[in-house]
Amino acid sequence: MLRPILPLLALLALPSPVSSQAPAAQDPPLSPTGGEGQGEGAAAQAQAPATVAMPDRAYLAELQRKARELRLSDDVGWLRLGHWRPRLLGGVKSEADGREFFLAKEGKTDPAAELDATLAGFFDASPKAEELDDAQCRFPARFGYLGAKLGFDLARLPARRCPRFEEFYGRVKATGATLVFSSWYLNNPASAFGHTFLRLDQAGESRAGRDAELLDYAVDYSAHVDTGNALLYAFKGLTGLFEGRFNHYPYYYKVREYAEYESRDLWEYDLALSPGEVAMLVAHLWELGGTRFDYWYLDENCSYHILGALEAAAPRLELLSHVGPLVILPSETVKALYRNPGLVKQAQYRPSLRRQFDARISLLRDAEADFVEPLASDPDTALPAVPPPRQAAVLDAALDLLDFRRGREILIGADAEGAATRQRLLERRSRLGVQSPRLDLTPPQEGRPQVGHPSVRAGLGAGVTDGAGAVALTDFREALHDLGDPDAGYPPTSQMEFLSARLALSTETARLEALDASLVRVTSLNGVSRFERRPSWRMRFGADLLKDGGCERCVAAVAEVGGGFAALRLWDSLDLYAGADTVLDWSPRLDGILASRVRVGVGPSALARLRLGDRFSLVANGRYRFLPFTALHAAWSTGAEARVHLGRRFSVAATWRLDPTDQLAGALLLGYF
Amino acid sequence: MRIALAIAAAALLSVASSASAQGLKGSGSYGAASCGLGSLVFGNQPGGVQILAATTNATFYSQTFGITTGTSNCGAGLVAQGTKNFVEANRETLAKDMSRGQGETIGALTVMAGCADSLQVGAALQTNYGRIFTSEQATSDDVAKALLETLKADKSLGCHVG
Repeated sequence: MLRPILPLLALLALPSPVSSQAPAAQDPPLSPTGGEGQGEGAAAQAQAPATVAMPDRAYLAELQRKARELRLSDDVGWLRLGHWRPRLLGGVKSEADGREFFLAKEGKTDPAAELDATLAGFFDASPKAEELDDAQCRFPARFGYLGAKLGFDLARLPARRCPRFEEFYGRVKATGATLVFSSWYLNNPASAFGHTFLRLDQAGESRAGRDAELLDYAVDYSAHVDTGNALLYAFKGLTGLFEGRFNHYPYYYKVREYAEYESRDLWEYDLALSPGEVAMLVAHLWELGGTRFDYWYLDENCSYHILGALEAAAPRLELLSHVGPLVILPSETVKALYRNPGLVKQAQYRPSLRRQFDARISLLRDAEADFVEPLASDPDTALPAVPPPRQAAVLDAALDLLDFRRGREILIGADAEGAATRQRLLERRSRLGVQSPRLDLTPPQEGRPQVGHPSVRAGLGAGVTDGAGAVALTDFREALHDLGDPDAGYPPTSQMEFLSARLALSTETARLEALDASLVRVTSLNGVSRFERRPSWRMRFGADLLKDGGCERCVAAVAEVGGGFAALRLWDSLDLYAGADTVLDWSPRLDGILASRVRVGVGPSALARLRLGDRFSLVANGRYRFLPFTALHAAWSTGAEARVHLGRRFSVAATWRLDPTDQLAGALLLGYF
Repeated sequence: MRIALAIAAAALLSVASSASAQGLKGSGSYGAASCGLGSLVFGNQPGGVQILAATTNATFYSQTFGITTGTSNCGAGLVAQGTKNFVEANRETLAKDMSRGQGETIGALTVMAGCADSLQVGAALQTNYGRIFTSEQATSDDVAKALLETLKADKSLGCHVG
């Protein structure tokens, strides 16, 4: 049943005049069973039995010469297929780290040698026990690319069959591709900035609604994590010591995992690719799937390589040039899609379990909603005396609440009581015999990653302090978002910052007068409500210039964790948080516990944020800390910052901070890049 | 620069990353390959558990999902095997959608089994919920079997489940 695909790839890889806006073909370009009418001639040639003929040496030499004349080894299409990138000191080096990805000895750094060796490999007609030892079968996208560029006369090349590749190609049946963004998930640092992967679409919108997308294949690039040790995990993840690989899964795996068990929204970006580009993408993913990369958490990560694969399949696209360089954020890769006009056909949205639950609750009257919580814990609770469709809506909400709270434990078999409760609710719900209407959720404006402000922030300003008079203020942040930034495109109640610093320098002495620097700063506010009991929390690692009398102008390393409770969206504009923090300060000059240089602070803290429209935010902070066993006994600080947003690129900030020994007031212009 | 940045950040993230290391571990042994949907192989762990594990940067890794190593021994009973895999991986959501008589897993099943209309399929599965999910401990095999029988028994659904 399998059909040879390589000859067709050589045809499909030709730059097609097909408009990128054209809807995807109804049938897969290379269906394993059908597909008549496309490339009949070439296919017929390849149907010839793969007997070992004498390789046509003269033709090989001719093709190699032609490739040199065309300077193909410098062509962007070839360089992308080999993932060669310029090196700092000249030359190129491939990001692929598996030996098997190169046929030439120096292939990792020599695209020209690799091109010659690839062509020679295509002419190697000796029998191979392992399919992937055959160059044609291991490198179908290279075959397609070179075949199209050099105009292969397929009759003069050994005709190879590649059963496993053909099976893969036929199984994914791709007619289109979608980039999926799985939104921010603060409970896992590895996912805090989101995640992206590809979905290979069997028939896109033309099929029975969006439900059938569950049956498509997803392809992701992820690290093979071989340690359970958190410290080692972080170290290896950040230093490229994990092995990264491309894998494929049914899409329903991903929907279950992200949208339900982690309750993350999924954003799906349907890409306008020509049938040839889709075919090349599948073929190239096969090539990538056969090798490995070093996984770098910060830059050569999941999102980076997904863009790299897309670029290789469609050299007309410019994606990686729009991200980085030091840190590649998944949300930035989504924006890179939009930098290629017309590439995103449409953005679809798959709501998380949490959002589905919220939507179900919003459909209930207050008196009905009162039954949801009791039902989720005792499935035999009496239903409200309302018509069956309303009772069904109450049970539907109770089921989602149970899943939201205990779904993971039930799934892994760690909550037998929860599983029994669930089964009882399900039976009750089914006996009502009412079919629930489909939940139609409007995509939330604030979550769309493509509309978010750029994640690097830099600013300049001036101010005045009690101690030093006039000061210059600077602000820098590598990523991503704080509670005062424009909230479009970001989770509105979360702050995730990586490498940030705000400092004040005296204009007279150029001395440092204030410092608030963080390696990582995270705040996650969860509004306490009827169905939400999760606490809010925050943490920070960084450095402060202490102004509380604990030392004379010393910079201290700071580690801070805290938890508390929040009330959100009061009058649609005010968020309040109150909690307690534990802080560890260290400085060589600190007057710490007993005679040490370390002190521990414990005490209450509070935060308030006011937002008026999308133009104005005010964030105020206050904290008090007991410092046991120090001469100081206690310290405090308070501050506030108001910002007016001028579009997505600029904000004006007015800032104020009061410490026991100093006061700072100033203004800054902040830019997002 | 990258190394310096990385090492600096490593110290920090390590403190916070305990959650990320809690993923479930694959058993390392997987059952025979099958046909149909994704040639999914579940071995001795429930499909759903593997879903939790087969995540971004998590601790699970299997040749099952490898692009060049994934296998598929297609043979008879394609719909049956596909349905079984689907039930195994989507079990909790499928149960919920069936009890509601509606949902995306029912839409996907309708496509997979070649039935005429997901609304009708939803109604039929809702009616037969107690027979399909007999208890929370029912095996996915039994659930899949009962589900297919339901689809087969009701001719008006027009399903093609051989």
